[in-house]
Amino acid sequence: MTAAEKYNRKKKRNEIIIFHSFRLFSMIVLAVLFLILFFIFIRGYKTISWEFLTTIPDEGMTKGGIYPAIIGTLYLVAGSIVFAFPLGVFSGIYINEYAKDSWFKRFVGLMTNNLSGIPSIVFGLFGMSLFVNTMKFGDSIIAGSLTLGILTLPVIIKTTEEALKSIDNTFRLGSYALGATKLQTIKRVVLPMAFPNIITGLILSVGRVSGETAPILFTVAAYFLPKLPKGIFDQVMALPYHLYVISTSGTNISESRPIAYGTALVLIAIVLVVNIFANGLRMYFRKKVKMN
Amino acid sequence: MKALDEEIKLLKSEITTMFLLIQAQMEKVNAAMINDDKALAQEVISTEKRVNAQELTIDRYCENMLAIFQPVAIDLRYVLAVLKINNNLERAGDILEGIARFVLDAEKPFDNKLLENTGIHKMFEALLVMIDQIETAFTNDDTKLARSMFIKDDILDKVNSSAVKTVAEYIKEHPENIEEALYIISTIRKLERIGDQITNIAEEIIFSVEAKVLKHSKYKKGN
Amino acid sequence: MYKIETQNINLYYGDFHALKDINLKLEENTVTALIGPSGCGKSTYLRMLNRMNDLIDNVRLEGKVLIDGEDIYRKNMDVVELRKKVGMVFQKPNPFPKSIFENIAYGLRVNGITDRKFIVEEVENSLKKAALWDEVKDKLKKSAFELSGGQQQRLCIARALAIKPTVVLMDEPASALDPISTAKIEELIYELKKQFTIVIVTHNMQQAARVSDFTAFFYLGNLIEFGDTKQMFLNPSKEETQNYITGRFG
Repeated sequence: MTAAEKYNRKKKRNEIIIFHSFRLFSMIVLAVLFLILFFIFIRGYKTISWEFLTTIPDEGMTKGGIYPAIIGTLYLVAGSIVFAFPLGVFSGIYINEYAKDSWFKRFVGLMTNNLSGIPSIVFGLFGMSLFVNTMKFGDSIIAGSLTLGILTLPVIIKTTEEALKSIDNTFRLGSYALGATKLQTIKRVVLPMAFPNIITGLILSVGRVSGETAPILFTVAAYFLPKLPKGIFDQVMALPYHLYVISTSGTNISESRPIAYGTALVLIAIVLVVNIFANGLRMYFRKKVKMN
Repeated sequence: MKALDEEIKLLKSEITTMFLLIQAQMEKVNAAMINDDKALAQEVISTEKRVNAQELTIDRYCENMLAIFQPVAIDLRYVLAVLKINNNLERAGDILEGIARFVLDAEKPFDNKLLENTGIHKMFEALLVMIDQIETAFTNDDTKLARSMFIKDDILDKVNSSAVKTVAEYIKEHPENIEEALYIISTIRKLERIGDQITNIAEEIIFSVEAKVLKHSKYKKGN
Repeated sequence: MYKIETQNINLYYGDFHALKDINLKLEENTVTALIGPSGCGKSTYLRMLNRMNDLIDNVRLEGKVLIDGEDIYRKNMDVVELRKKVGMVFQKPNPFPKSIFENIAYGLRVNGITDRKFIVEEVENSLKKAALWDEVKDKLKKSAFELSGGQQQRLCIARALAIKPTVVLMDEPASALDPISTAKIEELIYELKKQFTIVIVTHNMQQAARVSDFTAFFYLGNLIEFGDTKQMFLNPSKEETQNYITGRFG
């Protein structure tokens, strides 16, 4: 065999090895995901029932349901999104569409990235210090939502920025050439086109926020509340915290274990449902972009 | 080198071949007439086929260049000029063939004194110089040399205008040679037309190089 | 009076001297082609005419740009008004991701027109002017992306015409299109020049020759030659022009 032939053989062999290795890796990733889901599902499905979802915990968390935690999580997610989404999207629009390239812009970008790197427990501490104590909101939904909002702000800003960047500049130019102002262009052309991808930011945020435990530790979460919150200054239960608490402290850890799994399952389910819904929203907007 | 430049080079060599062919024909016809060389005259007539074939070749070359390269500016003027020069040379060849036929068909050799008196020798001499110089002018893009053709053509015109008188007198003195005399007149006319072809070529060279159109212009000689 | 007149134009991108002392006068209802090798300044010159250069950071302009006798860079010039008068068609067709109808209506809407009947009429007129009406009249609500490349470009032309400009700038409008679409666009330009003054940047020499009345040859930011197109393609007065159009450089 000549040197060239040997080399070709080696090349082909490497191709096959790499292909199968990568395939294997992807399978592993999928396997891990399914493993987690399966694990939680198997241990938690028995606990799930209508009652479980709609009643309050009972007998030291060993019986009853997790209704207040579900509601609490939903409030917190909604609250953080209400705060972070508009702020994040507008910031992203400003950064990408208005701000001139300068050291300041680069600095802002750097800082935004840094923000997303701060450990979530530090956020919790910050939130407690600012909202709970200094601003005297106390442990409350508003403190928790604001803290979670700040946590997820960089994500929304970043995805908005990327979504806007991905819009080909010729669309903007075409609009300006017709006598449109920057604002009109953003409103009528750029934003509608970028919206599907901006929604992606939303999806990521929701997923993150519903599962964050540390930030809500010091700012809102309560161990047990028999009644639902009446206002934003009230405390609230939350699923991730609930899961933590009944697995580690509490009165009857081993007896509460099934409830823990049930909680985990519900948490995952909520995130999944929201993801599916948001994806549907994204597809709807994508179609609208082509058609309208 | 660009493809177009290559093609222009090839075209140039083809048209130069045409020039040289005509020049050779002219020399042969001149010799045939002086020496009553019927074999040489026949050669000229046979070679005419080659001249026609060359004209077709050059025409085709030019057509291809226009179709494929869509030349502009100087290249375009060059191709258009070559197209016309090609025609002019072919017509000159035709005319020379006609003269050769005279020599072939003549029953007796031409009276050399008559040839001298009517100025046919002068005409041939002038034409041989002109055809050589116009080929040089074309090869070197020499518009000054091209312009000198107009003045030289005057010689031919002069001979042409006085030809009738000279020949008429000859006929009075040698009525038995009337056919020969008529051939002479015809030849003089033909040679004058060759001169015209050469001045046309000069105009085309000037158009190609300078983009000046001197066709049908009164002001050639001053320029 | 000339429709467009640029006097002693010097344009800088930062330190880069992109246009050097350009003096050009363009007559109304003519087509002027701007030709030259890449980076020679022709697109920069074009964008200057509707102030699209304003969108680029670090651009500095010296000199006067007069359209209908008015300096378009004067202090109180409304750029939006300018762009209604001077329309632009880009190299790559860029219809908005909206319906064919909405694409044309866009220009009208952003300029405050809300009369539904008027808009419908103007959409039809513009599409007719762009020789596209017959092909799309039954599918105005369909997405503009469903059209072929050539149709999309004609749509962009119609869109530009809808706001009734008097000058139309075209930046290599046919360079992304197939020969048949290109021919249609060229035909269109020929028709449009009766009503508009057109300035077209093109890389295609033959197109410049076919389509324009006047040609301006730019090289390294300088205006080398400007003149009647027929004259320039038969006998240009500058050697650089001749070298460029015969393909011997650039």
